[in-house]
Amino acid sequence: MKKQSAWLLASLAALVLVGCAGQKEPAERAIASAESALATIHDTAQKYAPDQLQAVETQLAGVKDSLSKGDYKGVLAAAPALTTAISGLKDTAEGKQKDAEAAAAQAKDAWGPLSTDVPNMVTAIQSRVDTLSKSHHLPAGVTKDGLASAKSGLNAMKTAWSDASNAATSGDFTTAVSKAQAVKAQGADIMKSLGMSSG
Amino acid sequence: MADDKTPPAATNPYTQTYLVVSGDTLSKIAQTYYGDPALYTKIFQANRDVLSDPNKISPGQKLRIP
Repeated sequence: MKKQSAWLLASLAALVLVGCAGQKEPAERAIASAESALATIHDTAQKYAPDQLQAVETQLAGVKDSLSKGDYKGVLAAAPALTTAISGLKDTAEGKQKDAEAAAAQAKDAWGPLSTDVPNMVTAIQSRVDTLSKSHHLPAGVTKDGLASAKSGLNAMKTAWSDASNAATSGDFTTAVSKAQAVKAQGADIMKSLGMSSG
Repeated sequence: MADDKTPPAATNPYTQTYLVVSGDTLSKIAQTYYGDPALYTKIFQANRDVLSDPNKISPGQKLRIP
């Protein structure tokens, strides 16, 4: 009876070992597959969904930890959720990438008119500022302080416009348009302060 | 500052314009826009394509005010 029990225990232990060994390869394959899927979207996810990427990487690290501890069953149980998370990350990152590309294309289109409009505005303001600076008396509605403010505002516009142009040259039309629109708004205020209608 | 892209005042949409009415002179217009009638020459120079004499402007003329 004692011999039989020992044999039974040994057999059960062997079965468990065989069972575990049978799960090791699928578990390793599941992790390799997840790592491969994540690698293909890593850069895009890093740029467009960094928080979600971090969550998935933490999830993957947990599953790899289970593998290192020989918990193959746990790995296989967690694998479907990991696959779903990676798939969700892929959808989010690619969606945001698409939106960003559409916004960039829209900004590039908007840059065209602004790239001529703002310099025209600066030229018109510069001309008026130069003339008023030579005037012995300022026209109604324009004060000395107002003219001084317009001059400094004009210089600020030139600096900001230079920044916008540099952004456009480097291909960052979103920043370029944002800066150009700010310059244009500032220009409209200056024109108003000098009694000029803004086009 | 992108001078190569800057059009002359004639085509710059931000250059102000003024429609001459009866009794106007360039000095009066300069007084209105610049506060100084002596600066009429600025307006005259900006409108040399339509003005040949600063003393001769006509009602209905559209002048650029630089």
